[in-house]
Amino acid sequence: MSDYDCGAFYCEMRSQQDQPLLTQITKRLDELDIRALRRRARDAERELFNLGITFTVYTDRDAIDRILPFDVIPRVLSKQDWATIDSGVKQRVAALNLFLHDIYHDEKILKDGIIPAQLVKGNKNYRPEMQGVDVPQGTYVHICGTDLVRDEKGTFLVLEDNGRCPSGVSYVLENRHLMMRAFPDLANGIPIADVDAYGSRLARAMSEVAPQDVSDPTIVLLSPGIYNSAYFEHVFLAREMGVQLVEGRDLLVDDDMVFMRTTSGKQRVDVIYRRIDDAFLDPKAFRPDSTLGVPGLFAAYCKGNVNLANAVGTGVADDKAVYAYVPRIIRYYLDEDPILPNVPTNICGEDKGLTKTLDSLDKLVIKPVGEAGGYGVVVGPRASKRELAKLHALVKADPGNYISQPMVGLSVSPTLIDRAIEPRHVDLRPFALTGEDTWVLPGGLTRVAMKRGSLIVNSSQGGGSKDTWVLV
Amino acid sequence: LSSLVARFAANTFWLGRYLERTENVARILHINETYARDKPEGPDWQRVLDLYSDSDRFHEDHEEASEQAVLQFYILDRNNPTSIISSIINARENARSVRHLISTEMWTHLNMFYSQLLKMNAREIQPSRLANTANDIILNCQTFEGIAEGTFLRGEPACFYHLGKYIERADQTTRILDIGYGLLPIGKGDAVTSVQWNVLLRSVCGYHAYRSRYPGRSRVKDIERFLLYDTEFPRALALCVGRITERIRDMEKRHGTKRHSEVERTRRELEFALETGPGNDITPEKLHAFLDRFQLLLANVTDAVRQTYFG
Repeated sequence: MSDYDCGAFYCEMRSQQDQPLLTQITKRLDELDIRALRRRARDAERELFNLGITFTVYTDRDAIDRILPFDVIPRVLSKQDWATIDSGVKQRVAALNLFLHDIYHDEKILKDGIIPAQLVKGNKNYRPEMQGVDVPQGTYVHICGTDLVRDEKGTFLVLEDNGRCPSGVSYVLENRHLMMRAFPDLANGIPIADVDAYGSRLARAMSEVAPQDVSDPTIVLLSPGIYNSAYFEHVFLAREMGVQLVEGRDLLVDDDMVFMRTTSGKQRVDVIYRRIDDAFLDPKAFRPDSTLGVPGLFAAYCKGNVNLANAVGTGVADDKAVYAYVPRIIRYYLDEDPILPNVPTNICGEDKGLTKTLDSLDKLVIKPVGEAGGYGVVVGPRASKRELAKLHALVKADPGNYISQPMVGLSVSPTLIDRAIEPRHVDLRPFALTGEDTWVLPGGLTRVAMKRGSLIVNSSQGGGSKDTWVLV
Repeated sequence: LSSLVARFAANTFWLGRYLERTENVARILHINETYARDKPEGPDWQRVLDLYSDSDRFHEDHEEASEQAVLQFYILDRNNPTSIISSIINARENARSVRHLISTEMWTHLNMFYSQLLKMNAREIQPSRLANTANDIILNCQTFEGIAEGTFLRGEPACFYHLGKYIERADQTTRILDIGYGLLPIGKGDAVTSVQWNVLLRSVCGYHAYRSRYPGRSRVKDIERFLLYDTEFPRALALCVGRITERIRDMEKRHGTKRHSEVERTRRELEFALETGPGNDITPEKLHAFLDRFQLLLANVTDAVRQTYFG
């Protein structure tokens, strides 16, 4: 790592050399020569392929299995950093659950004017059908993946809440297994938090939110099926939980109760960990063209005869527009300051935010709130004068539809690229499980942008992942 | 106790069948190439097409049952549903659906086997390399079976897996017997001296087993007794029926006799047919009729299991 230069960015390894364990890991990495590293990296990727830890791309003729690129240099989080993340994520999940309960019941937060009612009720992920529906333990977001980034100063910021069907946790566990096989020497004597409890914790959380009168609930994982790109994760989780992995066609609803078709006939189902979006869950309640769902499921759910994780209608809480209000949501329900701050966000629907945005369009990232997946996002510093002028007019015409944020210099982590170790930008997605209370998996998915300078860590755009070590 | 999702019962059943089929097809191709040099111009490949009743389908696209064409058809042709590649693709798709119920080791091995087959090209099925290739396929199937034996939880999924495996094995043995027996010169003193009986026994992996069972004897009656009734020979019909019976008893225990009655009825028919056998003074015609009926009865068991358990 002698040529390694992380520039002005915060480095997940170099900037933490006050931590003796990180110094020790760095030293061990330095002792491995680059050829040995590359050989072990190749072995690790072949193993991923053989184990079928893949996402599958189907064409007419072939099923092509791709692996998520795996970088062999771990991302290490200190005990202190983890304590902040752990408590910050718990706080955020607690606030989001209270918020969801409120907007689907008394709407106090809307009446008190903390967040514009239109923003919530006009949101396409708001489900009016959920109004007045009570869910066990008041838990809406059972599984939460909060995307965090780290700025130049090393402060963790929340980039996004994923409160619908966050994915990626299987890679957290599989990356660890792979790492321990490929680099047993690197981790020797380093106290790293164990990640293997996730499956049993998930099963426990699902039991805790079973309908009230059920003592030994039957839990299933509902998947869109083998053609879904995340199917491996569904397999992984079903196996770790010890439950059956079903598709919509395996379930049926009779007299507002849910059953699965088994070798001994119909068997009652109590909790469904569903990896299908709200819209496809039940053709009777939502999209009528859905073939993935179960007709009548939503009615059974409303009657409290079955529970769904996550709850229906959580999408409104992880929306970009609502995101800007989460710090206020935390203060409103918990009377606490947010432990994990948002990326500073200007809400253009408010005068102050609009002025700030219009004054420095060329320095900010401007995001339309209704869109998902980065669509319509303008990066000010990289936009032409004409584009900025056009954007100026758009924002002015409909300010409520926009937020803006400063550019964040994402932290970097040493990453094996060809014949050298180079800095690459990373983010972190910790996973939180909530039944009666919340538990955060000590680790998380570190995604890494494999292209130099790129800030895009998504697997669909060439991003990879790293094992994430939480020191204990 | 949670019962198995009906679809998974079908998946594990077919997983067992496809792997068993793959192993048998590979062995038959190999044996036909290596030992059945009964014609001066080389082995007869039409015979293999007849064995699997694939002749009509094959001749839609091929004029002549040439070695190259038949090997291509049975190993690499993805348009042929009975080819080895098709069987392994199907096995893997079934395994994928029950991946959370089988062991990771089973999945990993099948996945590697599959990747290896996808990479296989026409060069590897040339006559000079067929033996190696076929042995490799057989070994992969046997390894899978060994892994399953050592890692697969003996619950309901394993029950259907084994049922599928032994139904397929019994079916394969009847086909091999049917075609093999037709080739055996039967006549004076029942003595079989030709090379064909080797082929027959080797096709069911039974050459040395037979030798140790009947030292120094090569009689049609013994071969018949061995392949039909030897309860210790893994590919004999009697052993397969015994295993099928055990699995069906397991299901009965889980699901009760009432639900199970049609499966049990078809099983009894199968057992009875074997007890009665092809009769005395066996002729190729009598044997053929018996084996034909036996295949039909196996299909009836499959059908009853499908209707009762596959939802």
